[in-house]
Amino acid sequence: MTSLARGAGTANRRARSRGARSWMRGPAPVALLFLLPALIALIVLRLAPAGVALVDSLYRESLLSGTTFVGLGNYLELFANPDFQNSITVTLLFTVIVNPLQVAAAFLLAVLFTRKAAGSRFWRSLVILPIAVPPAVSAVIWSVIYRPDGLGNGILAVFGIPPQSFLTSPEQSLMSIIVLLSWIGVGYWMMFLIAGINDVPGEYYEAASLDGASAWRQLWTITFPLVRRPLAFVLVADTVSNFLIFAPVQILTKGGPNGSTNLLMYDIFTRAYTFADVNKAQAEVVILVLITIVIVALQFRLLRTED
Amino acid sequence: MRRPTTITAGVIAAALALTGCAGSADSSGSSGDGSGAVSFVGPEDPAVFAPVIDAFEAAYPDITVDYTQVPFDTYATTLQQRLSAKDDTIDVFAVDQPNLAQIAAQGFLEDLSDLEDEAKAATSAAQFDINIYDGTMYALPVWNSTQMLFYNKDILDAAGIEAPSLNPDERWTWEQVAEAGAQAQAAGIESGLLLEQAEAYYQLQPLIESLGGGSGITGDDMLTADVTTDGWVEAMEWYGGTFESGLSPRGVGGFQTSAVFTDQKTAFFVGGPWDIGGFADADFAWGIAPHPSFDGGEAVTPTGSWSWGVNTASTNKDAARTFLEFVALDAAGNLASTETQTIIPANTEAAAEYLPKLEALGGDNSAGAADLITYEIENTAVARPVSIGYVQFESIINAAIADIRNGSDAMERLTQAQQQIEDAWSQLR
Amino acid sequence: MTVSAPRRSSVQRRSSQRHSGRRRPSTRRSVLFIGTTLLAAVAGIAFFAPLWWSFVNSLRPGSETFRYLNPLQWQTFFTLTPTLDNYTALLDTDLSRAILNSLIVSVVTVLAGLAVCATAAFGLSAFRFRGQGLLFSVVILTFLIPFDAIAIPLSDMFRDWNLQNTFVGLILPGIGNGMAIFLLRTFFLAIPEELVEAARLDGLGWWGVFTRIYLPLSRPALIGAGLMLFLFQWQAYVWPLLMGTDREHILGPVALSNLQGQFQVDYGVLFAASMVLVLIPLIIILSFQRYFIQSVTTSGMK
Repeated sequence: MTSLARGAGTANRRARSRGARSWMRGPAPVALLFLLPALIALIVLRLAPAGVALVDSLYRESLLSGTTFVGLGNYLELFANPDFQNSITVTLLFTVIVNPLQVAAAFLLAVLFTRKAAGSRFWRSLVILPIAVPPAVSAVIWSVIYRPDGLGNGILAVFGIPPQSFLTSPEQSLMSIIVLLSWIGVGYWMMFLIAGINDVPGEYYEAASLDGASAWRQLWTITFPLVRRPLAFVLVADTVSNFLIFAPVQILTKGGPNGSTNLLMYDIFTRAYTFADVNKAQAEVVILVLITIVIVALQFRLLRTED
Repeated sequence: MRRPTTITAGVIAAALALTGCAGSADSSGSSGDGSGAVSFVGPEDPAVFAPVIDAFEAAYPDITVDYTQVPFDTYATTLQQRLSAKDDTIDVFAVDQPNLAQIAAQGFLEDLSDLEDEAKAATSAAQFDINIYDGTMYALPVWNSTQMLFYNKDILDAAGIEAPSLNPDERWTWEQVAEAGAQAQAAGIESGLLLEQAEAYYQLQPLIESLGGGSGITGDDMLTADVTTDGWVEAMEWYGGTFESGLSPRGVGGFQTSAVFTDQKTAFFVGGPWDIGGFADADFAWGIAPHPSFDGGEAVTPTGSWSWGVNTASTNKDAARTFLEFVALDAAGNLASTETQTIIPANTEAAAEYLPKLEALGGDNSAGAADLITYEIENTAVARPVSIGYVQFESIINAAIADIRNGSDAMERLTQAQQQIEDAWSQLR
Repeated sequence: MTVSAPRRSSVQRRSSQRHSGRRRPSTRRSVLFIGTTLLAAVAGIAFFAPLWWSFVNSLRPGSETFRYLNPLQWQTFFTLTPTLDNYTALLDTDLSRAILNSLIVSVVTVLAGLAVCATAAFGLSAFRFRGQGLLFSVVILTFLIPFDAIAIPLSDMFRDWNLQNTFVGLILPGIGNGMAIFLLRTFFLAIPEELVEAARLDGLGWWGVFTRIYLPLSRPALIGAGLMLFLFQWQAYVWPLLMGTDREHILGPVALSNLQGQFQVDYGVLFAASMVLVLIPLIIILSFQRYFIQSVTTSGMK
């Protein structure tokens, strides 16, 4: 079964690259024409300001003594700062936990919601819906869930579980933020996986059923490999999105208790907007983008070597 | 430059202000009233400023005021960005008083020194001083604040606790409040005490200063952090203890704290005059008492609220100033700014007229509020420090307070905060 | 044109036949059906519960919001005395204006953004040319850059172009969305080569291939990308504040935040406003659900 699914994928790809080579001369200008509007938009609206940020990160602007060029001074100071070191650690820990968790949950939910069930479309709309809740409001809702005397402990009590400290203890705060973010995001990422799973031809399942493969085996041997591309998209997009999150932290924990939720993006936001230390904040942005590039490149490589 | 004339004008204006006709004094200013549209930016609902804008436009038909609201939670940061971009779509803006120094140091606030005497006459000493940075007055105070102790009378009665006195001379100590709170808890109430802004420097500064801990900022340039003094540590240890012992609830933040009082889940609550309006509809008996102090410590209350200033990038400064003077120096104008919002007018004359109305909001429950507030503003109010590094200071200290509330060791956490503040301030010099 | 739209009925028939060949197919199938339904319902309700709680509280006076938190009781999730006061209170605010503005900004962004992003994704997936990998990397790079962080330099540029307090200034940053391009490219790559080759042999131009093969075959992905572009604007907060939000250009999230004063918050009104803000994406998500059932590519071709 595995060989069938994988074989189909590679054959397809090989045919494509062989065909592509022969058009080599023709298509490039046409392709560029198609790409042009987006490239202009991305360069003007993203890369140009990012370039400004990169240059800014090499300067220091002081309230009392003006602007000076400091080279890598901002970076060196950041890496010497224990709070920044902690922020990096927290961010990496967060990344390692949140992304596999959300992608796995999104995948399982996508499988669930592509099976035949009564009201499936309705139930899955409810799962997607949290992405539409304004961040300010989801933070309020979850602050009520996480209050020591709040809904969370009320529900746990129904199952006989003792009250938890949630956001008020450094041990549970990051996990609490992860659960909140998963509530918001999992349904959204699920949506793209549903689109991917629906692309899997029914014949594959028929063949597998005739071979006597169990539903669970079919999931791993057919669905999983064939939605690899949408999965790769979801993994990368989810990872990047999670790097850029700060609103719930800003509203709920302000990075605490004891820096346990001080994600890099929140640190950047506070430094840029609250402390008005734009230059050092831009240095942090550069570091964040570099970390993201490394991790995303790693993910692309991992997914490539798989076939 | 034109200092002599303005001083004379100022003295005349001050004299007029004392006799209560400050509103008509503007016309003697050298620059005239101005005309056209004034754009005003603040963090309140438009309904709050509608009465004062209406009153102003009636008094000065040549000027119109367009108000833009920026959400409170991002007000300071949004303003910082827009002012530093020399955004001339802002003429007058509301300034959170402790942020004034930073904004003024960046040159975003028009020098208002020529109005100094008028301002001094119109408001309390603490409210006047807070607008001075580096010897220059940059804004005019519009609103003021204070804090007091609220208690749930029904709960105290049921627990057999005698309610605290309204008399400032018989001010309760924090130790007394904690003891009575614990007693109420023993009688079945969930919490004994809760401070409204449980993780805010504004709320905790009086506890620290009551024990002689200082504001936390010292030095000639007000850029030396000093948050590990005995007073700081002792006050914060006591505060952390109230959560450790369960006297106060952890994890309740933002605006959910006052609901703990109205849902009858705490015996004592420390809050501001706005709560008198908020508690007015409560279906239980409550009362007010002076803000507590520590046993053997000094009586200290929080103060300060909002001033308004003129943007240096404004293209309609004359009209902007006219509007500002109307709101801050004219008693009627200042009073109109508090018509829909329960807040104390910074203008002394307006406050005298306003406070009885405020007191009446809570009926019998808030009897004596007017005298109490007046007393505290005049005698015990200690403003937040004026420093260009206040914004960073406050953000770091608030995080430390939150951590101590959640169980961090006070001494350790304050030492860390001291280091963080020094780091953050190094970029200012 | 030999290419036809995907044959949906055949797919459905096939999937319903999935478990045939078992010994007692009907019992097994109905057990599976009920089990799946139960799981789906539990998942749906679990995700919806927090929203339901805020919906119930939007029907209650703000003073009662936190009254029934713990221990759980039926009043926590239900009310016998619903009132629309919180919703009528919204009429006095800028919210309706803000929602209208947000709709304008979001819809224009979706239309323009889809055009820009889909053509780019087509350029990155239908052709092979040198430098393609590099261009794709650039696209990836653009969405690794945190927008809220570069918003400061970008807003300086926009102010130079006098775009503060304009719809153009609000819409533009949403148009170029690297993640949407990445998404569309992912799904475009699944479109079989043979289909394109056949169409090209029939004399169809590249624009025709794009509009008549790629776009119709990628509906779920286009909807996903559209929702992505929509939500970027529907939830925009930091950017509109930097661009200046006078009352003519106020957006939904800003108006919502404006309801949270500095002294008090009426949570009843706040929840009512957020329900209104959730309603429009809800309608969109619900109404586009049916396109998600279509199997689009491989099976449609055979």
